Amino acid sequence: MDTSNSQRAQLAALAAPSVIFTVAMIAFPFCYTIWISFQAVSATGMMRFDGAANYARMVNDTQFWNGLWITFYLYALSLVLQLVCGTALALLLFRARRLPGIIRSLFISPFMLPPVVAGMMWLIILDPSLGAANYILTSLGLPPSNWLASPALVIPTLALVDTWQWTPYVALIVLGGLQSLPPSVYEAAEIDGASRTKTLLRITLPLLLPTLVTATVLRSVDLLRFFDLIYITTQGGPANASTTLNIYGFRTGFEFFQLGYAGALMITLSVMVLGVVLALNRLRNAVAW
Amino acid sequence: MRSSLKTLPTLAAALLLPAAWGAVAAAQEFDWKAHEGETITFLANNNPWATTVLKYKDEFEALTGITLRVDSYQEQQMRQRLLTVMNARSDEVDIFMTLPSREGMQFAAAGWYEDLLPYTTENAAPEYDFKGFSPALVEAATFDGALTGVPLNIEGPLLYYRTDVFEKCGLNPPESLAGISEVAAELKKCAPDMTAFASRGLAPALPYTFSNFLHNMGGSYMADGKSNLCSEEGKKAISLYASLLKDYGPPGVVNYSFYQLTSLYREGRSAMSFQSSNEFPAVMEGGARLEDTAIVPLPAGEGGSHPTTIGWALAVSQFSSNPEAAWYFVQWASSPEMQAKLALEGIAPPRNAVASDPDYQAWLEEQPVRQHWQEALEHLADKGTSEVGYPIVQNPESREYIGQAVNAVLLGTSTVDEACAAADEQLNALIARE
Repeated sequence: MDTSNSQRAQLAALAAPSVIFTVAMIAFPFCYTIWISFQAVSATGMMRFDGAANYARMVNDTQFWNGLWITFYLYALSLVLQLVCGTALALLLFRARRLPGIIRSLFISPFMLPPVVAGMMWLIILDPSLGAANYILTSLGLPPSNWLASPALVIPTLALVDTWQWTPYVALIVLGGLQSLPPSVYEAAEIDGASRTKTLLRITLPLLLPTLVTATVLRSVDLLRFFDLIYITTQGGPANASTTLNIYGFRTGFEFFQLGYAGALMITLSVMVLGVVLALNRLRNAVAW
Repeated sequence: MRSSLKTLPTLAAALLLPAAWGAVAAAQEFDWKAHEGETITFLANNNPWATTVLKYKDEFEALTGITLRVDSYQEQQMRQRLLTVMNARSDEVDIFMTLPSREGMQFAAAGWYEDLLPYTTENAAPEYDFKGFSPALVEAATFDGALTGVPLNIEGPLLYYRTDVFEKCGLNPPESLAGISEVAAELKKCAPDMTAFASRGLAPALPYTFSNFLHNMGGSYMADGKSNLCSEEGKKAISLYASLLKDYGPPGVVNYSFYQLTSLYREGRSAMSFQSSNEFPAVMEGGARLEDTAIVPLPAGEGGSHPTTIGWALAVSQFSSNPEAAWYFVQWASSPEMQAKLALEGIAPPRNAVASDPDYQAWLEEQPVRQHWQEALEHLADKGTSEVGYPIVQNPESREYIGQAVNAVLLGTSTVDEACAAADEQLNALIARE
């Protein structure tokens, strides 16, 4: 018993520096942002305590509500696309086990790219005048599209690009889940003569539910604070049609120097992300088997 | 009278003697190795000036013995890093690039700039020739008598056009602001595969080009302390700019900044492109446009010709722990010798002496388009205004509202009256917050 306690103490002592460093790196910026969100910060950097004025300002700020709507629209659209496409890709890779490793690697390569590189690449591809996307469309006899330059199309286009990049990540998670499913259930289904569709809908997908919720949690955190791709491609435009809360907060703080209000926006966004993650975690616990 | 004329040279000599003695003393005292062994950090905007000057970094280090650490970012990312460092009052950055027309007033009010004026008189190499800089650029970088940065270049938007296409279509370049629409309409008919007119459409980037339209139209951003965008001239400028891009611009122009404009023109896809003089080397890259391009300032409008003329500057941080060594880099990078080298690589010199240097003149004469470029730059230097956006501390935010107003008309979501009224409301609130 004493030996065990001593070992634990040694392990704790070894881990302590990294734990302290990690907590400090998370806690300090978060606490600083909370503090600054209660300050009125002028364009010249002067600060004074301003109570909850920055939070009150959000209520009448149409840009805030617009940003909130765009954040959740982009989140929902991207998440659904990525879960559907990721699950389909995982099933494909699971069945094609004899596929050469290099081809399997190619399937998952997009999410290895830094988002800035992916953003620059798609900015060029989707340029209505110079890009390959419209060239392909017109070559097929289809009308060209304005992709990132149309207020109506910009969010679906960003969702598609993000889906291209992150579907393989979802597929990897789902593939892990597929490999852990008990073979006996499938053997029983085969003996009962269940069709492939029935097996998929009644056995595979229900058993995969905890894995899918895990993928949802992981992608939710990223999608709610979606930034790099938007900033690289549209900077929130056209006409604010892709200004998510994160983009709005960034521009308010780093371009317009309203650090207090930007802090309040970021704290609000953080609380929302935390709320969504907690709700999804409860769901995951409920469907765990 | 005769006697007074005779005494004049003596008097002048007596007056000039202390100044001359000061210069001689400075020449004797100045030592490029005075900060040998020290290290300074330069936060650079990854633009043509920085990439060109940093090719000579080793020369600076050999000359001074100072180690130069460079942090290089794209423009927006550079500002983001600068904001973080300056708000923390950190000495991580000693020297940074700045655009006085954009953030000068804001950074000066925040106390982020070291006043460089005393350095130019008390600690400059004898060959530095501070007085050789364009006075307008020095004035644009001076706030409340403090010199916030030393000019690095002179730039402004210019009209690049395809001489071969104009010739094929039997057209002359537009001679008035209103004439651009007529020429663009003819180009659209004659060369339908090309973009007739291109300019910036991305909201925060657009005021750089739009300001020239507004000023040539006779408009101004502010009048009597209030936003003046809804003046007749302001509305005409918004209407003309938005309709040119909507009717004759490239698809997706609402996201266009310098990068897309340069690509489009270099690829031979636009007949007229109103874009930065700074992009000249990039536009000519590959040589495809060397023979078929001419460059002119934006034609005059009802209010005359008032081109947008700005320049990047090199500043020393107020929080630098080593401002003396930092100043050595500033004067080396902005010295007549270095600016003469940069001029031969397409960086428009902010010094008149460099512009008239025989080597530079020979470089210009190699290609007619270079001469057009230089003539247009001279027009910018002569007639230009550095007012891009509102002359207030919150200038960067004001640019956003201007961009949004033009975008709303361009995208057809608002009429000109609605767009400028919405912008005026936001801008007046911004002005009131000053």
